[in-house]
Amino acid sequence: METAVIIGLDALSFMLALLLVALGLIIIFGLMNVINMAHGEFFLLGAYTVVLVQNAGGGFWLGLMAAPIVLAAIGLALEELVVRHVYHRFIDTILATWGLSLAIKQAVIVVFGPTAQQVQNPLPSQVLILGAVYPSHRLFIMAVAIAVAAGTFLLFYRTRLGLAARGVIANRAMAASLGIDTRRMDRATFAFGAALAGLAGAVMAPLMSVDPQMGVGFLVPAFLSILVGGAGSLPGALLGTSVIAGSSTVVASIWTQVVAQIAVFSLAIVIIRMFPRGLAGGRR
Amino acid sequence: MLTVEGLRAGYQASSEVLRGLDLTIAEGETVALMGRNGMGKSTLLRAIMGHLRIAAGRIRFREHEIVGRRPFEISNLGIAYVPQGREIFADFTVEENLILGVLGKPALPARVPARIYAWFPVLAERRRQKAGTMSGGEQQQLAIARALIGRPRLLLLDEPSEGIQPSIVQDLAVTLGRIAGEERLTMLLVEQNLDLVLRLAGRCLFIENGRLVDAAEPARLRADPALLQRYLSV
Repeated sequence: METAVIIGLDALSFMLALLLVALGLIIIFGLMNVINMAHGEFFLLGAYTVVLVQNAGGGFWLGLMAAPIVLAAIGLALEELVVRHVYHRFIDTILATWGLSLAIKQAVIVVFGPTAQQVQNPLPSQVLILGAVYPSHRLFIMAVAIAVAAGTFLLFYRTRLGLAARGVIANRAMAASLGIDTRRMDRATFAFGAALAGLAGAVMAPLMSVDPQMGVGFLVPAFLSILVGGAGSLPGALLGTSVIAGSSTVVASIWTQVVAQIAVFSLAIVIIRMFPRGLAGGRR
Repeated sequence: MLTVEGLRAGYQASSEVLRGLDLTIAEGETVALMGRNGMGKSTLLRAIMGHLRIAAGRIRFREHEIVGRRPFEISNLGIAYVPQGREIFADFTVEENLILGVLGKPALPARVPARIYAWFPVLAERRRQKAGTMSGGEQQQLAIARALIGRPRLLLLDEPSEGIQPSIVQDLAVTLGRIAGEERLTMLLVEQNLDLVLRLAGRCLFIENGRLVDAAEPARLRADPALLQRYLSV
């Protein structure tokens, strides 16, 4: 019973962190038709922002608040300098953002070195849930992710700004004909997606080995979640991340990480074969 | 109100659809643009709206030169566009579709004013319904209402009668005529449906191979079937 509770909570916390990364990817892809290969590095930079703030004596909480702001600024700059010049050529966006990903990774190695950095756990205590002892920080991650994901959904489905963004996603040319500044939408979206990934990296940093490879570890399952859930659909992201995070956590707890990877990839292939447009049916 | 001079534009640099088109529309006028398929009618509307790269020529709207401006700026100067095939947002509600027409207009409140529902009562009934579930005629009314909600001075209409029952086309013509009168709206109408043209237009222009080749009063169209034969039949 205790193990089941712990596995369930682990799966949920992984799913929620993955959701933050996947939401940014989906919004950017939906609005700009850009597959952002550098998204894992936005996650990475979020974690390193915490390292930087902590080394400067600022502590984890300040780092957590700084990360989305720093990443929004970086996202804004990269959109202006690189992405907007290639966004109408689909394959080029993959190459360009992949190039960005390599450059960011190398820059991190130059500045911080290739070895893992430590981030102090700000909530080292443990709590008792349904008879199982569980680390507080993991619960905190879940709370942050739920709040941010719910905020993103409200922003998209309940506000005028979200309606404009969904309009641009559904029909960019028509939205522009109605007077909506699609360039401004692009910039805001890219910055927002980067901030979400940065926040995810920052909040996960105390649990992970903060090293230059940590972004890839989240980008691949995030992409799989989107394919499984259905690209271009926010509810699909919920489905996709639950399937991927759930299956990988459960399998890894019974066997090993390697078996989990194989199982997750196989499951993804089966689902995509059966639902080519994703579990959410590719509805926009 | 709108002056087009020597306009050359197309979808690829190598092939121009508009080959030196000149056009003037005065304020308050409703002008119909007629011609066979592929002659450049829709292309002209897209070019005015800023969706095409202009190779040469000028487009002046009121006191503004609009060649090179982006579609959202042109929309904010007061030109609205109802494209061929309507292009409503099918997954959004009727009301959301309408609100999208004002979101880009900072001067206008983000709600649907009463006059829109007064012109198109069916949209008030269906405001919470998904736009894609409505009939073709209702979707066309929605596309027109969505264009009008932004308070344009010039309305570009591309084949509003396409795929709509004749009786509904009649109603649409009456409503459009009433709106043009109430709002002192200028309209440029691309249309194959003679009924709609005769009811609305004060002047008909004929386009052939990317140039205007003839102009006629609606009365002359009625009297002279050979004119239509020449420019419209395949």
